[in-house]
Amino acid sequence: MVIDFNTLYNFPSRLDRVFEEFLRSPMGDDRRLAYPPLNLSNDEENIYVRAEVPGVTIDDVELTLTDKTLVIKGERTAPEGKFYRQERPSGVFHRVINIGVPVDREKVTAAMKDGVLTVTLPKSEEVKPRTISIDVA
Amino acid sequence: MSEVVKKEERKELTRFRPATDILEREDGFHIFMDMPGVSKEDMSIDLEEDELTVTGRSIQCPVPGEKFVEMQFGGCEYIRSVSISDIVDRERIKASVENGVLELFLPKLEKVQPKRISIEAQ
Repeated sequence: MVIDFNTLYNFPSRLDRVFEEFLRSPMGDDRRLAYPPLNLSNDEENIYVRAEVPGVTIDDVELTLTDKTLVIKGERTAPEGKFYRQERPSGVFHRVINIGVPVDREKVTAAMKDGVLTVTLPKSEEVKPRTISIDVA
Repeated sequence: MSEVVKKEERKELTRFRPATDILEREDGFHIFMDMPGVSKEDMSIDLEEDELTVTGRSIQCPVPGEKFVEMQFGGCEYIRSVSISDIVDRERIKASVENGVLELFLPKLEKVQPKRISIEAQ
């Protein structure tokens, strides 16, 4: 055998895996549900959509913003060669994210760093919390 | 208070085995590992005898004040070992990182010369 995979099942050890099933972190559970995994968050100014898309450049990703949704579409291609092991997903991916809050369409930005795509959607002025000063008469 | 903070820092990151492709081409073996969120500085590759171990830490630093609605990935530690055989030229192993994918190139030795042991008759 040319490359020997004997270590693959040793780490983490089988016993660890059993415990892992019980003590799994909340974020690990959804990993296999849809590709790519997404993180959605927001602060007062922006909505952030992050996706783990390793091996994809920003040019390969198509982002479409409609009134209520953000669509992330792209394709991952598998490298050429004779495979001994293929675990990295390849093919077309497509995820639709519902955005319930009006966003400032003109100022939406997207960036890719180390395989993590971050889309920043600034909230529209009208939905930002505002402090109303009350004048005491 | 400070003790609590220290504990938080020491909390171990979840470990994952990065999804890996291992393939052979004319020139040698190529290994691709998906390690999103890991920068070049946070990655290390060790070759000890026949075992090549790759580790990397992905640290997510959200903007302060950010509230998460949905979290399907987060900071984690990637670790994976691959045993390599003698026909790989250890001196010329190359590694590169692009868009969160680590590519390892393991060239084959120019000439693999099987050692012949002669048997002497007594």
